[in-house]
Amino acid sequence: MKKMTYAEAIRDGLRVEMQRDPSVYLCGEDVGKFGGCFGVTAGLVDEFPGRVLDTPITETAIIGSAVGAAAAGLRPVAEIMFVDFTGVCMDELFNQASKMRYMFGGKAKVPMVLRTICGGGLGAAAQHSQCMEAWFAHIPGIKTVLPATPADAKGLMAAAIRDDNPVVYIEHKQLLGLSGDVPAGEYLVPLGQADIKRAGGDVTIVTWSWMVHRALAAAEALAREGIAAEIIDLRSVVPLDKETILKSVAKTNKLVIVHEAVKTGGFGGEVAAVVAEEGFDLLDTPIKRVTAPDTPVPFSAVLEKAYLPSEGKIIQAVKELF
Amino acid sequence: MALTPKDLLAFYRTMVTIRTFETKAAELFAAGKLPGFVHLYIGEEAAATGVCANLTDADYITSTHRGHGHLIAKGGRVDLMMAELYGKATGYCKGKGGSMHIADVDLGILGANGIVGAGQPIAVGAAFACKYRGNGTVAVCFFGDGAANRGTFHEALNLASIWKLPVVFICENNMYGISNCQRDHMNIVDIADRAAAYGIPGATVDGNDVVAVYEAAAEAVRRARGGDGPSLIECKTWRWRGHFEGDPGAYKNPDEQKAWLAKDPIPRLAQKLIDLGHATAADLAAIDDEVKAQVAAAVDFAEQSPDPDPADVLTDVYAS
Amino acid sequence: MATVGIIANPASGKDIRRLVAYGTVFDNQEKVNIVRRILLGLAAAGVSRVLYMPDYYGIVPRAVEGLSSRDRPPLDLAAADIRLTATQDDSMHAAAAMVEAGARCLVTLGGDGTSRMVAKGCGDVPVLALSTGTNNVFPVMLEGTAAGLAAGVVACGAAGGPDVVRRAKKLTILKNGRPADTALIDAVVLEDSFVGSRAIWDVGQLRQIVLTRGEPHNIGISAIGGQLAPVGPFEPRGLAVACGAPVAAVLAPIAPGVVVPVTYEHYREIAPGEEVPVARTPCILALDGEREVEVRAGEQVSIRLDLDGPAVVDHKAALAAAAASGYFRLPPPAAQNPGRKP
Repeated sequence: MKKMTYAEAIRDGLRVEMQRDPSVYLCGEDVGKFGGCFGVTAGLVDEFPGRVLDTPITETAIIGSAVGAAAAGLRPVAEIMFVDFTGVCMDELFNQASKMRYMFGGKAKVPMVLRTICGGGLGAAAQHSQCMEAWFAHIPGIKTVLPATPADAKGLMAAAIRDDNPVVYIEHKQLLGLSGDVPAGEYLVPLGQADIKRAGGDVTIVTWSWMVHRALAAAEALAREGIAAEIIDLRSVVPLDKETILKSVAKTNKLVIVHEAVKTGGFGGEVAAVVAEEGFDLLDTPIKRVTAPDTPVPFSAVLEKAYLPSEGKIIQAVKELF
Repeated sequence: MALTPKDLLAFYRTMVTIRTFETKAAELFAAGKLPGFVHLYIGEEAAATGVCANLTDADYITSTHRGHGHLIAKGGRVDLMMAELYGKATGYCKGKGGSMHIADVDLGILGANGIVGAGQPIAVGAAFACKYRGNGTVAVCFFGDGAANRGTFHEALNLASIWKLPVVFICENNMYGISNCQRDHMNIVDIADRAAAYGIPGATVDGNDVVAVYEAAAEAVRRARGGDGPSLIECKTWRWRGHFEGDPGAYKNPDEQKAWLAKDPIPRLAQKLIDLGHATAADLAAIDDEVKAQVAAAVDFAEQSPDPDPADVLTDVYAS
Repeated sequence: MATVGIIANPASGKDIRRLVAYGTVFDNQEKVNIVRRILLGLAAAGVSRVLYMPDYYGIVPRAVEGLSSRDRPPLDLAAADIRLTATQDDSMHAAAAMVEAGARCLVTLGGDGTSRMVAKGCGDVPVLALSTGTNNVFPVMLEGTAAGLAAGVVACGAAGGPDVVRRAKKLTILKNGRPADTALIDAVVLEDSFVGSRAIWDVGQLRQIVLTRGEPHNIGISAIGGQLAPVGPFEPRGLAVACGAPVAAVLAPIAPGVVVPVTYEHYREIAPGEEVPVARTPCILALDGEREVEVRAGEQVSIRLDLDGPAVVDHKAALAAAAASGYFRLPPPAAQNPGRKP
């Protein structure tokens, strides 16, 4: 175990996998000499000569070339600087990377990672603050993960790189500086495995990414009022760990879903639908969702604060169930 | 670079195989036996043939929605292709891809593609893999005049150029993007002119002359293998059929169509083979017959093959 | 009414020599720019009518369209009456049609290949060939405005005579005794079976070379002659090089950026009217840098040096003659504009 930040943990995951497998390479805008827009890949360009490639501002070619390189046997980790920019390379992701294997009758593998970062709270406004995981979840053939802790960041990165499918790996800007214990050396967190970040018997809160931490803070406050919330960090939205969710709901009979993305078409709707379809009888109360409203992300700190799901909103939603 | 009679006869066989396969596909589509969309390569055979003659199984290609010719020229099997057109379990993609998505990764065929221009960055990535491994392999990207207007074209050529990747961009300018004539969809005539904007060599060749295509591709592939970076070759050619089967192509000028039919690449090579004494008319007719039998056998294979098991709808989404 | 023809080849500067050599890329927009300047030069020199070769790109119409309305010259512009084939024959047919329609000078944009086709159609009408091709021995590198002025003074009769317009040489290809084709600079016998991508870059295939001219500064096959025994463009002799056995070798720039050793057996001067037989068939004949003629086994082919090639404008001499005669002098300006008092 070693104390490191989320950003360092991602880098450590990349480093370990690059040492382990020479077919892994990184590419993207400013990932090399500049060390990444948020410093996540700092120094790797010197540690791995020829394997950390600065690209032009060319999202389509970054992801398109990663698809080709992966189909030809390499393991690219291609960075799109902000998840908001994935619209530029969407065809490469949703028509190419995700469908090649199926369209070709199972005869192709596309082992690539699309690394990107999401989330608000920095005053980065509507085109640099979004959470788009529901888009990716809607595309069969790719997997999507969103680590919330340094250890998960490292373990999910390693697992994403080793997976033989395209994996969208979404970091969060608010978490980069978060410090925590991270296992040294090779460390894997299996894709599709949720993690119970806090156990509790009164209400299940399903969440992911930055909101895990707001949910944990809310749980702490609720505990003082005698409500024991169980916090499930999905870590992967695809594959979805239904079992962990249903098991928890079987115990608590109450479900609150918290995500930073906008409500309509958000992945919370999918979680709610799964529980309604497969665990309707487990529920004692309606399902609650705590999300951003259906608006673009505003710029002003005051507006953005109003926009983001908060500890208070989570507490309020939970209390409405009791 | 001197072509042997054996090379030339191989060109002939490949072009005739493409023509025969496509003609049969048109017939089968008209008879209602092929589902979906079918885009035929008739008339453009010299391009795929001349280019792929410079490649080995270890080299990569990306193809297009009009991909049957590229697949055959790169060594694809007509029986597996035909079965895929029928949507059968024995097809190249087990009936999951169809005409627009046939691939054979073992032969370096990274797929036909239903999205115009999508193959360009994919070929760049495959070329990156070639360079990364340093084993002298190359990638070839086939695309049309329509795809030369996509943003993918710009991004792919730019990245290939700055990274000096071993990729050859083959623009099959068949003068139409669906119904839109090249005159109306770009303000230049020679797409190879665009190479200069990326600092790479570009050349225009007669795409209906298999030897001219071969020579140009040979040089571009030699450059790529030698670490000299990408090239753009424009093959001027003509799509004989509509954009897809069922499109009568009423937007084409009949005089132009007539003039291009007269430039049919297959008789051009056949005449040459006879003039050079490399083959007699009877030798060529024998090849024609062999190919016809091969394609007929492919149709039989397809028709007698089982449909996919409905349960297979769920398989092959993810690699495990 | 002084008429000038413009033949701008949209296909020049595009072929495989961009790949196998380092040929200039001449995109058609640049040709449009050059034609714009030619038109302005022609109009300034007094030309009133311009005939142009129609082409699939529309070089001349685009040139006119792009002129600012302030500068648009009062030229009567018309396409030459030809059926467009989008092959090199268009240049030949356009030249012939322009001559027929009364053009007194032709300005061409292309390389040696384009000039060769124009020469087949231009008869006695003088040609000013500008370089926008790959191998450019026949055409000259000249700014478009100067070219327009020079062609204009020739067409308007302000310059002429043997100093200004001279006959170039040519090579006549005789197949079974009958003229079959023409070259302006070089005819090359290649051990090859295909016209293919047309360019020549494999010197191993050279068997015979016949040249009207060859100077050490040339680029192309004529450069070989230029290194061995230079022949000027208007000297009444030519050169034949046999490349069969590798007896000797010379370094020559046979294509842009391609300076390579060429082996040869012997070379000799040839006289006007002399026929050099093609020694071995089948073969391919390359004319002015491009593979053109397929020679079948047993065909009798020879290459003859002739002095009655196209008439060529010497642009410097033409403009000098016009200047000497005061052609561009204007009447004294009217009384100076007094200007406004402050």
